[in-house]
Amino acid sequence: MSPGSFVARRLLLGAAQTAAVVLLVFALTEALPGDAAVALAGDQPDPARIAALREALELDRPAHERLADWAAGLLHGDLGTSLTSGRPVTRYLADGFGPTLLLAGLTLALLVPLGFGLGVLAARRAGGALDRLISSVSLAVYAVPEFALGVLLVTVFALRLAWLPPTAVGYGTDLLGHPAALVLPVLVLLARPVCSLSRLVRAGMVDALAAPYTAHARRYGVPERRILWWHALPGAAAPAVQQLARTADWLLCGVVVVEALFVIPGLGTVLLNAVAERDVPVVQGLAVVFGVVTVVLNLGADLVAHRLTPRAGAAA
Amino acid sequence: MSRGRFVLGGLVVAVPLALALLGPLFAGPPGPRSVSFALGEGHWLGTDFVGRDVWRQVLLGGRTVVVTALAATALGYLVAVPVGLLAALTHARWLEELLMRPLDVLLAVPSLLLILLVAAAADPGPVGLALLVALVNVPDAARIVRAAAGEAASRPAVEALRMQGESWWRVAVSYVTRSALRTLAADAGIRLTGVLYLVSTAAFLGVGAAPDAADWAVMVDRNRTGLFVQPWAVVVPAVLIVGLTTGVNLLFDAALEKKGRARS
Repeated sequence: MSPGSFVARRLLLGAAQTAAVVLLVFALTEALPGDAAVALAGDQPDPARIAALREALELDRPAHERLADWAAGLLHGDLGTSLTSGRPVTRYLADGFGPTLLLAGLTLALLVPLGFGLGVLAARRAGGALDRLISSVSLAVYAVPEFALGVLLVTVFALRLAWLPPTAVGYGTDLLGHPAALVLPVLVLLARPVCSLSRLVRAGMVDALAAPYTAHARRYGVPERRILWWHALPGAAAPAVQQLARTADWLLCGVVVVEALFVIPGLGTVLLNAVAERDVPVVQGLAVVFGVVTVVLNLGADLVAHRLTPRAGAAA
Repeated sequence: MSRGRFVLGGLVVAVPLALALLGPLFAGPPGPRSVSFALGEGHWLGTDFVGRDVWRQVLLGGRTVVVTALAATALGYLVAVPVGLLAALTHARWLEELLMRPLDVLLAVPSLLLILLVAAAADPGPVGLALLVALVNVPDAARIVRAAAGEAASRPAVEALRMQGESWWRVAVSYVTRSALRTLAADAGIRLTGVLYLVSTAAFLGVGAAPDAADWAVMVDRNRTGLFVQPWAVVVPAVLIVGLTTGVNLLFDAALEKKGRARS
């Protein structure tokens, strides 16, 4: 298969995935049981509110027309308006964007050196004491849900030791001004991805260090440090890059939980509030943004991984 | 190393699993409600946010997590195994594409996002949550089944069986499926860990469980407000969830390592 055809096929899949995300998210209003407006009114089923909801969602028009309008709006950056407040959904996005980007950015910035570093460290003496420690701990922590880990860390570091604030309440969106409030959230967000990434890097490095080409480099007298970082690591990096993109899925789950746990007013909190209030346009707008970001990240990672190891067909 | 990990995993998972499965038998009838977030006063672990005995809630709260996770894993495979097998064994290229391509597309949607989307439309309840979690696991599981079965189906042994005149059905079931079972066993541990994560996280976020349900994840969420007064109502269920998830992961990993060593 030529590289060109792989890229084209992967791009096509990405486009199909984007379209599927948009369709799936739109299908939500159609999937509401019975009359959508009645279902959304929920606890306040007075006729005026139902009529207003019907008007706001334009439920009297056929579904395909609404889908076309909504999709056209998406292309122009118009995500609709909230049912509860009447504000545009893009405003919600703008409000929650800062804290979430800060959390995700900090996590990623620490994740890459930590994940690769621990993986290489464990692989350097595979089977040694340090390797066993890193492997066991990462295997154990990998499985722990963020909320359970977070709550236990809060109990120890905020409650018993009083080193860190238990939540970010009162700091608003100015989290950078209060770095102490960021320590526990970022730590919780990091825990699972670091484990999976370091395990993958370790496995790839163990294979690469046992491969004939590294043995050959050793015979030439290339220093071990240079073999480790310069010859073995690139070979182990391809699966790790793909895992990094899969981390986007985890980070999304993690951000929603961590924002709820530490009361951080980011996109995850906006999403959870909208779900609780059944504010369908806000949920849909956020879901489309989250979904498309995931699709694009995975697409990018597959292309990079393909570039690193063209013979492995990557995940198309 | 693997034996140590096996024992460790077994010990770590034993307490939460025993509590989850046997707890409801020993819970007894609900006592009278007392003050919220009280410590002591006849309650071994104090009381929760509405004044219920925490120990009784702990005894009752594991079963939903474990049963929902097991049901979701089983349901996921119930769909993924036939789809993956059929895609691997069919000679019709269009059928394989028809079965697998839609799953590739579904794979792109973050799992928690899908669950939250559905929760915005209607509360799924425990059964709905199990179905949803099963659904988000189908694409990945089907891909793994197809890869494992496809590898087995291309072996010379299958060719030989075909030339002996064995029927398609017999080759598919007796040889290919049995060969793919090993990979499936490896996948099952990872999948169960992921499902436990998803089920408990959804319950923590209020999806698939009533706000006052006896469920470890719901307990962690609802009793957080009293963390400074009465930490036991949060810490005990959180530790049990940590034990359950890490234990399952350690146990499966060690079991597979053992098996792999025995074979090689």
